[in-house]
Amino acid sequence: MSIYWVIAYFLVLALTLIYKTPIVRGPWLFLLRSFFPNWKFFHTVGYVPHLYARASQVSANGEHTWTAWEHLYPRTSPSFWQLFHNPHTNLGLAQQNLIDHFWADLNDSPDGSDPRSLVTYQMVAHFVQGVLKDKYPQHSHSQFELRMLLDNTTGTVHTHVMMTSPVEVLS
Amino acid sequence: MTLDWTIPFVLSTPWAIRAIELLFALSAGIQTLEYWRMQTAMQGKGLWVWSIQRQDIPTAWVREVLDKLFTPSMFRVLLLTRLLALMSLLVQGGHLLNIGFLFVSNLAVLIRWRGAFNGGSDFMSLVVITGLLIAQVASCFTDTEMAWRAGFWYITIQSMTSYFMSGSVKLLQPEWRNGRAMTIFLNAAIHGPLPSGHWLRKPWLASLGSWAFIVWECAAPLALLDARLALIFCLIAALFHFLVFWFFGLNRFFWAWVATFPAIVWCSGQI
Repeated sequence: MSIYWVIAYFLVLALTLIYKTPIVRGPWLFLLRSFFPNWKFFHTVGYVPHLYARASQVSANGEHTWTAWEHLYPRTSPSFWQLFHNPHTNLGLAQQNLIDHFWADLNDSPDGSDPRSLVTYQMVAHFVQGVLKDKYPQHSHSQFELRMLLDNTTGTVHTHVMMTSPVEVLS
Repeated sequence: MTLDWTIPFVLSTPWAIRAIELLFALSAGIQTLEYWRMQTAMQGKGLWVWSIQRQDIPTAWVREVLDKLFTPSMFRVLLLTRLLALMSLLVQGGHLLNIGFLFVSNLAVLIRWRGAFNGGSDFMSLVVITGLLIAQVASCFTDTEMAWRAGFWYITIQSMTSYFMSGSVKLLQPEWRNGRAMTIFLNAAIHGPLPSGHWLRKPWLASLGSWAFIVWECAAPLALLDARLALIFCLIAALFHFLVFWFFGLNRFFWAWVATFPAIVWCSGQI
């Protein structure tokens, strides 16, 4: 008897791939989304959000001298032992997941709304400040951009800027 | 060793219970020790400071409770208590107290990371601990065999669904069918772009690899037809998850899915 239930279940599952249902949203649903997994991993190729940041020094007459834009994208080297303990790589992956959520929040925001009210914006801004302060202790200001990169099999083929932050004081 | 397909093969319930408890304890232990090492990223200049994240909590009194729970010292206590509960699961086996605590503390840790730290591995870890909790709670009302049947089937259906859905959505994407998606995702992976001469840069090999994974994932439910098929499926799945770890750095995925294998083999012996 169990076999018929299993067959019926996977048939229904196959149907859900064809028929789309409305997406239910809410703050608690977001926090408890692990109870409702969609199991869709790496399924769509397209534009991917990436974080870029830069720092500046201000001259006596108020002009900014900026560093080059830095791509804040986690990279680590593989090792077999990371199968058992891999905090550095996992933090990098979580950082990139947050950038994805930041992009999704911006995308869902009404036109003209201030992104600085978003939790993801504040987290990214805080992170950028920490990174730039460590790397450029003499610099006084920071700025970041969220850029959308489209890759093919050989490299990035198109980029556009989705959001540029205001210039902030490095605190 | 040869497989005799004429004799039914069934994984015994006590073996399946012990195997899933040990594998889950290992998986959750690895995660908890990693959280321990990540505490600097949750304070000061780190990305995951609670003073900002607390705005995600929509209910005022819950936010106040979590403010207390997520102070650095209390969070350390939470992680240490989780390690103790996992040791107890490892040594004594599951009971309502350690499984119940691991379930609740798992939710707390997930909320600390805005609902999920590592995506899929968090989802599957929650599936396994929920299955173990179902078995423990149900055994208060019915016989142990029936309670574990419920727990094992919950885990198996979710695990099989993960393979089936993951394969099916790829099947619907032309970039996966022609192999380009695999190369693009590997180039963007945390370990950096593939070397210029890497074999997965050859379109026909990338296409072959993509199709192999798509067909295997879509056919996952067939593993439930026989426990020996399920064993073979789980061996291939372990290799698949190891490759995902090697190329994408997703070590937690490996352990989270391996922890579901005893349930899959047990259920396939029941059909």
